[in-house]
Amino acid sequence: MKITEHPLYKKVIKDAWSYWTGAVLLAVLNISLFIVSGKPWGITGAFANWGAWIYKSLGGHPETWAYYSNPDHAKALTEQSFFTNTLSVQNIGIIVGALLAALLASQFKIKKLKSWKQVAAAAIGGLLMGYGARIAYGCNIGAFFSGIASMSLAGWLFAIFIFIGAWIGSKLLVKVFMT
Amino acid sequence: MAEYRLDCLGEACPIPLLKTQKKMAEMKVGDIIIVEIDHSCAMKNVPEWARKEGYNVEIEEVDDGQWEIIIEKNK
Amino acid sequence: MQKKSAKKKKNQLLAGIILLVIIFIAGVLFSGKSPMLVVYWMFGIAFGFVLQKSRFCFTASLRDPLLTGSTSVTRAVIVAFAIATVGFAAIQYSAHIKGNPIPGYIFPAGLHTVAGAMMFGIGMVIAGGCASGTLMRVGEGFMQQWIAIVFFVVGSLWGARDFGWWTENVINRFSISDGINKNAVHLPNILGWAGAFFGQLLLLAVLFIAAEWFEYRKFNTSQNSDAQNASIQI
Repeated sequence: MKITEHPLYKKVIKDAWSYWTGAVLLAVLNISLFIVSGKPWGITGAFANWGAWIYKSLGGHPETWAYYSNPDHAKALTEQSFFTNTLSVQNIGIIVGALLAALLASQFKIKKLKSWKQVAAAAIGGLLMGYGARIAYGCNIGAFFSGIASMSLAGWLFAIFIFIGAWIGSKLLVKVFMT
Repeated sequence: MAEYRLDCLGEACPIPLLKTQKKMAEMKVGDIIIVEIDHSCAMKNVPEWARKEGYNVEIEEVDDGQWEIIIEKNK
Repeated sequence: MQKKSAKKKKNQLLAGIILLVIIFIAGVLFSGKSPMLVVYWMFGIAFGFVLQKSRFCFTASLRDPLLTGSTSVTRAVIVAFAIATVGFAAIQYSAHIKGNPIPGYIFPAGLHTVAGAMMFGIGMVIAGGCASGTLMRVGEGFMQQWIAIVFFVVGSLWGARDFGWWTENVINRFSISDGINKNAVHLPNILGWAGAFFGQLLLLAVLFIAAEWFEYRKFNTSQNSDAQNASIQI
C-alpha cells in the first residue's frame, strides 16, 4: 500500500487535527517550554530584535533607545543575531514547522495576492500588531496566552481589549478591506 | 436547481466564509454552491458553519492546498 | 452535478521529508552553539506544526463570535488557557514555596495594555492573522502574510523606539500595582493562591459555557423552531 493511503498517515499527517487537539498540545508545549527554559512562550520580542539588527546594519543606533537599555534586550542586540538568538530561532522554527506540516500533507501552495486591498491590509495590520505588541509587552501569545496562564492581571486586561480591537477590526475588514 | 461557483482562491480568512454566507442567503432551496478555496482555515470553518446550519456539505481536495466545498441548500 | 476534475496532484511528501532532514541537520548545528538554541528550535518546529495541522487561530477565536457566530475556536482557546493555567500555577507555586522569585509573564498592567491590545486586535483581524498565525501562514505560502510580517517587524521596531516615551508617560503613571510588583499585578497577591487559581479556572469555565450558549442561540433562533434536536458540534 502506498504510504499516503495508510490509515495512520491519513489520520496524523494528512487530515486536519481538531481545534481541541491543537489546544491541548499548544498548552502542553507552552508548559513544557516554561519548565525547560524558565520562561513561557512568546513571539514578538524577536520581531523587535529582527528590526533592530537590520536597522543597526543600515547605520541606525537602536542601542540608544530606552527599550535597549534593558540588559536582556541589550545583550540580544549587541551579541546575537538571527540564528544565535533563541527567540529568533524559535520563530524561524514556527515558520518551518508550519511549512513541514503542509508539505507532508501535500497541501502546500503559494497563495498569490489578489488585490491591492490585501497589501494595504497586511501593511496596516502588521504595523498595528508590531507597535501594539511592544507597548502591551506582548502579543496574543506572550501577553494573552502566557499572561493569563501566569495569572497576571495584564493578561486579562489584554484579553478584554484585544477582543474589542477584533470587533473594530472586523468592521473595518468588511467595510474597507473586503476583497 | 441552480448551481453556483464561488471563487475564493487567494482570499484571507474569514472572507471565504463571509462570501459563502452571503451567497447562500440569496440562494433558493435546492440550489448548490461550489466554493473554491485554498485557505487551510476555510477548509474547516466553511464546512463547519454549513453543517451547523443543517446543510449537506461535501469537501474535496482538488489539488495541493486547494479544496472545493460543495454545499446543498436543502432547507 | 458538475465537479471540476481533480488535477493531477503532485506528491509533496518527498519535499517534506527532505525538509525534515534539513531541520534535523539545523538542530545539530544549533546544538553545537548552545543547548538552549536547539531547544527553542525544536519547540518552534513543534508549535508551527501543531498550529498548522489544527488550523489553530487566536484571531478567529476573538473575531468569529461577532463576525460569523461561531465559537468553536473560542472554546478551544479557553481550554488551552485552562490547561496552561494549571501547569503554570504548579510551576509558580513551587517557586513560591521555595522562596524563589515567581517565574512567568507578569507584566505591567495599565493604559498601555489597553492601547496596545486594542491596536493588536484591530491589526490582527485586518492582516488576517495574529503573531502565531502570521508565522504559520508565512510557512504555508500566503503572500499576504509575507507582507504582514515585514510590517510587523517595522511596527515592532517603531514600538521599541517609542517604548521609552510610553514608559515615562503612561506605564509609570497609569498602571496598577499589587504592592509587590512594580506596575503589575500577580493575582495570587491580591486573591491568595487558592482564590486566584480557582477563581481563574471558574471564570474560564463561565466563559466557556457562555461561548457555547452564544453559538447555540445563534444557530437555533435563525433557524426553524425545532429546538428539540439542537446539537452543538465542536
